[in-house]
Amino acid sequence: MDVVFPTMSQEKPLAEGVVATWFVRDGEQVAAGQLLAEVQVDKVSKEIPAPVAGTVHLHALEEAVVVQGTVIASVD
Amino acid sequence: MTATETSSAPAATTRRLTTAKAMSEGIATEMAANPEVFYLGEDVGAYGGIFGSTGGLLEQFGPQRIIDTPISETAFIGLAIGAATEGMRPIAELMFADFMGVCFDQIYNHMAKIHFESGGTVKVPMVLTTAVGGGYSDAAQHSQCLWGLFAHVPGLKVVVPSTPYDAKGLMISAIRDDSPVVYMFHKGVMGLPWMAKNARATDVVPEGAYEVPIGKARIARPGTDCTVVTISLSVHHALDVADQLAAAGVADAEVIDLRSLVPLDRDAIWESVSRTGRLVVVDEDYLSFGMSGEVVATITDRDPSVLRAPVQRVAVPDVPIPYAHGLEHAVLPNASRIEAAIRAVMGA
Repeated sequence: MDVVFPTMSQEKPLAEGVVATWFVRDGEQVAAGQLLAEVQVDKVSKEIPAPVAGTVHLHALEEAVVVQGTVIASVD
Repeated sequence: MTATETSSAPAATTRRLTTAKAMSEGIATEMAANPEVFYLGEDVGAYGGIFGSTGGLLEQFGPQRIIDTPISETAFIGLAIGAATEGMRPIAELMFADFMGVCFDQIYNHMAKIHFESGGTVKVPMVLTTAVGGGYSDAAQHSQCLWGLFAHVPGLKVVVPSTPYDAKGLMISAIRDDSPVVYMFHKGVMGLPWMAKNARATDVVPEGAYEVPIGKARIARPGTDCTVVTISLSVHHALDVADQLAAAGVADAEVIDLRSLVPLDRDAIWESVSRTGRLVVVDEDYLSFGMSGEVVATITDRDPSVLRAPVQRVAVPDVPIPYAHGLEHAVLPNASRIEAAIRAVMGA
């Protein structure tokens, strides 16, 4: 299941943000609801929990700038 | 000395938290278990603490137990002291340790002394949390550590975590302690996105309640050639330098994270230095009349002959912390100053 960077700015659909902190490593087992990341747009931050349990794969580097809506991880 | 777990050791986990989230989780764990615990201070509610110390707690416990206060530190710290003497377990947050000037009478004359003055009949089981430290151009009134000042006053315990694990465990221990505990958290270890990144500020934290004992140091890095005694953010700088110097063949340095200043784990300091014979103290507080001198006296009071080289102290020189970035970093105990100190005790 894909984990997308949430839409934090409604005004600017293509707003860019950063994955401020990854709390998991690529390939780790995670539980449903476990904290995966904290992301930021401007100075507003949001926690990203795991949607399901499984193996997590990271598709964005910490501190990388991404457009909101981008897939930043997947859990299978 | 290295044992950090209590008898009910937490289960193994790979769940990671920042230090800020670990601190907040420690508070939440005790608040859920004990209705007498509450938290009050400036911007601790909706804002979640300006350094993230109380993130999510207002939503979980409501405004009766997570209380935003006016800017009147004497009033709300006094309120916490009164509530503690009546049997509650308040946690009061002084936004910056630098602000203690406006409320120190409550802290050192009341919070610290009521137990003594009442002949032990009145306890003050409260925690005073406060943010410390510099490195981000916040100037002379928002960058100090000042733990030496709090530790100097008899009657207060003083804890200063450097890792997410210790931040949660020391918070739980502090809340459960029947003595007043000053809990000092460095902004640079909290894992905040807007501070300088610190890789060790996000680490594995067990779920549920566990204690880290107050007054017990931790060997953060074992070593044989010299001992670096430090605390708080400086632990991370010392570990980085120790790894580099070991790889370069200069020294295998042992790094001791004191974790508590009061009680001071003098046995841990003595055990290490009597083994290595060389001592470096790294302290982000001011040099004179503080932690670094106290650590050195721990050795010289017992037997100075174990020292094979003069002690090196890396601390903030006795000047206010400058605003200008370059000047600020010149006074802080950074990696290059720590490396020079280790090289000096090694004669390398």
